[in-house]
Amino acid sequence: MNRWILDHTQAIHDAWKRTSDRLTQFIVLVCLLGILLAIPGWLAQIWIGMASLVPEDAVQSEAIVFLKQDLEVEARIDLERTLSEMPDTDQIIFVPRSAALEQLSKQDGLEPIADLKANNPLPDALRVKFSVQGVEARENQIIETLVADRRVLSLRYYPSTRIQYASLVEMLGFLGIGLSVLTVIGVLMAVFLVAAADVVDDRRRIELYTLLGASRRFIRRPYLYRATLLGVLAGLSACLVITFLNEVLSSVLASNLKALDTRLENIPMDGRILIGVASIAVLASWVGAERAVNRRLRALH
Amino acid sequence: MIEFESVAKVYDGQREALSDVNFRLAPGEMAFLTGHSGAGKSTLLRLILGLETASSGAVRVAGTDLSTLSGEKLARYRRRVGVVFQDPNLEEDLSVYDNVALPLRISGFSESEIPKRVKAALSRVDLSDQANASPRVLSGGQQQRVGIARAIVHRPALLVADEPTGNLDPELSARVMRMFTQFQQLGVTILVATHERAVVESLPFRRLVIEQGRLVSDGMGANR
Repeated sequence: MNRWILDHTQAIHDAWKRTSDRLTQFIVLVCLLGILLAIPGWLAQIWIGMASLVPEDAVQSEAIVFLKQDLEVEARIDLERTLSEMPDTDQIIFVPRSAALEQLSKQDGLEPIADLKANNPLPDALRVKFSVQGVEARENQIIETLVADRRVLSLRYYPSTRIQYASLVEMLGFLGIGLSVLTVIGVLMAVFLVAAADVVDDRRRIELYTLLGASRRFIRRPYLYRATLLGVLAGLSACLVITFLNEVLSSVLASNLKALDTRLENIPMDGRILIGVASIAVLASWVGAERAVNRRLRALH
Repeated sequence: MIEFESVAKVYDGQREALSDVNFRLAPGEMAFLTGHSGAGKSTLLRLILGLETASSGAVRVAGTDLSTLSGEKLARYRRRVGVVFQDPNLEEDLSVYDNVALPLRISGFSESEIPKRVKAALSRVDLSDQANASPRVLSGGQQQRVGIARAIVHRPALLVADEPTGNLDPELSARVMRMFTQFQQLGVTILVATHERAVVESLPFRRLVIEQGRLVSDGMGANR
């Protein structure tokens, strides 16, 4: 048989033997890593669920654009036309300064300002209603353009609840990514420490193999196979935990909140998350063990 | 085969384990390295095995300066050297056969070649009937012979032994030494570190005496 296959078969056999020699430790580690890795996976599942549930029928974004006092009619009409031609605007409403004063004076406690009619301090304004499907980035771009426009005195922007919700989801996403990075570092450290302890335990054996002419690659191979097995099992455990938690969450949402949104009745498990978690588990275990074994072997030699 | 040229080894910049050691061991020659505990025998052997590098001077084996070897090259060099320890250092989870086959598997021998070589090595140390036994059930002398079989199974040109008879009674010690003598007659270069004067003086081989890291005597055994 090919020497390469024989070497790797022997390494797999050694890895399996080490695993069965310390089975309890191995099982505890698989469970621990599985739970640790399930945290970012489940967060990602919640996040994707939140992102897909962004309300679509919420109030539109709106901007009140105050025009310069001495703006000529042609310039104002030109601005109205430019805005109405933009794909992200839905409606442009001209609010003359007299109407604004009237509306303000109707508000509680502001009746006295009706006396200012002769000397109205308010400018003419445009109410810009953005389209229901407006994207925050594009709306921000329009706002920036308006702020820079010579014809505009100032403006107020009221983002839609949908955009506010999307911003919240985005912020939660960043928090989730930070927490996930910390969890993966935790997994790396756990594997690193266990692999380093294994090498120290096997010190006598490693010294013997070194004297018999084993290369570092030959010596570290069983540890890496063991780490790979650990990663695969931890990844599977994490996937099981995530699926279970998603089922629990879905049933709770379905029974309590489906009246709010029918989409809450069934939040499907995202396959990309499971694949991602399993891949991270294998990669983190392998990298953790590789770093630990290399460092320990260098110290031993 | 082995050449030490003005070799010194200093640990932590101050503790001098070896100082100005010079000697040559010809191919096929056998020699004893003697001296009290802490005299520097183990350091000298570690230099030969490439486990340490000399602080100054040169250690050459078969013309190769060991300080130039590292990584895979050093591992390949060690595959050409046989090592016998005071404690045979056997893998208890493996059978006698698998323990002896270990250097061959590490060196990448084919699976068809391994049984022939293991059988031949076990036969040399009179342990053919114990091939499938676990090292746990063997006596101290038998374990040491398994260690010797493991050291010679890949037919090394150089055999290094560190106190190989340290845990054996005089009769077994004599038997082990007879084996070394046979290997030497087959052309293997052998360096045996021991502090057992009786063993050294009973055999007509070169004797290197080391004291406080210095080679103080280099001559033939008393009975020659």
